[in-house]
Amino acid sequence: MNFFSWLQYDFMKYAFLAILIITPLFGLMGTMIVNRKMAFFSDALGHSALTGIAVGVVLGVNNTSISMVVFAIVFALLLNLISSKVSSSTDTVISVFSSCSIALGLAILSQGGNFSKYSGILVGDILSITPREIWYLFVILLAALAFWFLGFNKLLAVSLNRTLARSLHISAGWLENLFAVLTALIVMVSIKWIGILIINALLILPAAAAKNISENMREYHFFSILFSVFSGVLGLVISYYTNVATGPTIAILASVIYFATYWWGSHNNI
Amino acid sequence: MKKNKYIFVFLMLLAISLAGGIFTGAYIHLDGGRQEQKGIHVVTSFYPVYIAALNVAKGSPGVVLENLSEPQTGCMHDYQLTPQDMILLSKADLFLVNGGGIESFLAEVGKSYPQLAIVKASESLDLPDGENAHVWMDTRYYAGMVRSIAEALKKADPANAELYQANAEDYCEEIGKLTEQMEELRESAQGKSVVIFHEAYEYVAGELGMDTVYCLDLDEERQISAHEVAEVLDEISRGRVSVVFAEELYGKDMGNTVETETQAKVCYLDALVRGNYQADSYLSAVSENIEVLRQAFCNADK
Repeated sequence: MNFFSWLQYDFMKYAFLAILIITPLFGLMGTMIVNRKMAFFSDALGHSALTGIAVGVVLGVNNTSISMVVFAIVFALLLNLISSKVSSSTDTVISVFSSCSIALGLAILSQGGNFSKYSGILVGDILSITPREIWYLFVILLAALAFWFLGFNKLLAVSLNRTLARSLHISAGWLENLFAVLTALIVMVSIKWIGILIINALLILPAAAAKNISENMREYHFFSILFSVFSGVLGLVISYYTNVATGPTIAILASVIYFATYWWGSHNNI
Repeated sequence: MKKNKYIFVFLMLLAISLAGGIFTGAYIHLDGGRQEQKGIHVVTSFYPVYIAALNVAKGSPGVVLENLSEPQTGCMHDYQLTPQDMILLSKADLFLVNGGGIESFLAEVGKSYPQLAIVKASESLDLPDGENAHVWMDTRYYAGMVRSIAEALKKADPANAELYQANAEDYCEEIGKLTEQMEELRESAQGKSVVIFHEAYEYVAGELGMDTVYCLDLDEERQISAHEVAEVLDEISRGRVSVVFAEELYGKDMGNTVETETQAKVCYLDALVRGNYQADSYLSAVSENIEVLRQAFCNADK
């Protein structure tokens, strides 16, 4: 059996390209999400995809991806706004938003008992990757890289200490909103083939694993991207041969990496 | 220290790759490692079509018959193709489907494989209404599907045309016996009202000459609302419905409710969307259905 036989199919080529673009992006964004303790935030964003689709269905939009992205951006900005105003802790606010949007999405989509039509989005469908999606991903990759080079230090300053950031004349709100929008875009463009239930795993796990063994920012980013790409590519190949959904396979590999690095990190006092 | 870390990461990733590779290899090995077979590759979309094609192609050296990796639950309506299906279809010469909209993924297949010949078995039939595609439930229509499949195979593999013709005739004769039994039942069932819990039973009701007064489509992941339950119970008592056709797997709870709340008798019939892949499984499943119906109607007459 030829090891590369999987590349002869168009859908696998698209999937491979998409993985090559999205996993470094996930690794990169993940570091910041883990740093800023936003894991719950990105999870809620993933769940809002359901509502995004539902809104699209109600409005009769043909391409539900658009309504999904628009809704997620609104959702992310609103969440940022409210969590900065409300006095109760952020995780409560996020939880309220998350459950609210799931309930809304489920209520609309299950109307007439037809939820099964959309259940594919829970685990993801790799065949939904088309050349157009790959272009979207590519554009987002460029945007994310630009954001990284221009805004990384500022964002880091904000996440370390808001007062310090203010003294350096960095406007925290604006940066945070931009970051939230970027996260929303990445999550939404890849959610159809990764699946709502595990999208967060791919954002969080590589970064969390990298954090286990990293001693500085450079290492942290390097390992996060490495783990992300590694589990993405290997997960795709394994899922192809074993006929398992791709998203979960990638997430399983990433969790194995997490536990291995956790063990190593705790034995070496990092 | 730092060097150690990179060695660790390298070893870890290597170990995971190896473990993944061995696991995958073992899986493929256990799976039987499908060998490339020579001949015309015919892929069917799901169970009734597969069984029909299996009977028509029986004993043919020129045909490799395979079925899509269909879901274990429910109907094909919302089925999404898996990567394995795409691979299967990429090798196929002929794709036999039921048609009538049940295979919602057909457009996608047509786009990915423009050269693939797709034959809709139910297309040539003269159907009462175009909405309901569960035609295989009516033995007369099923025989028609078998004939169209035979025609498609004859065209794809002319060398064995006579065999397909003979097989189709044999099989249709077997189906004909079931049709006769249904006719017998028709005498006691005709004109009666029935409530069905799955669209597919409309064809059973049609073959028996019964009048379908209400159709509640119970399917996988279908959550019915309290309002619908009340409506069904109302309909049953108001229309003096004595029989309900339901599917064991999805209609059992609702069936129990109906039996406790009303006088109606619930018949659990096989909707034939899945089953074991023996050549005679369609015939045996329909005979069982007929047995259930016979009991229902004979008891009702007493």
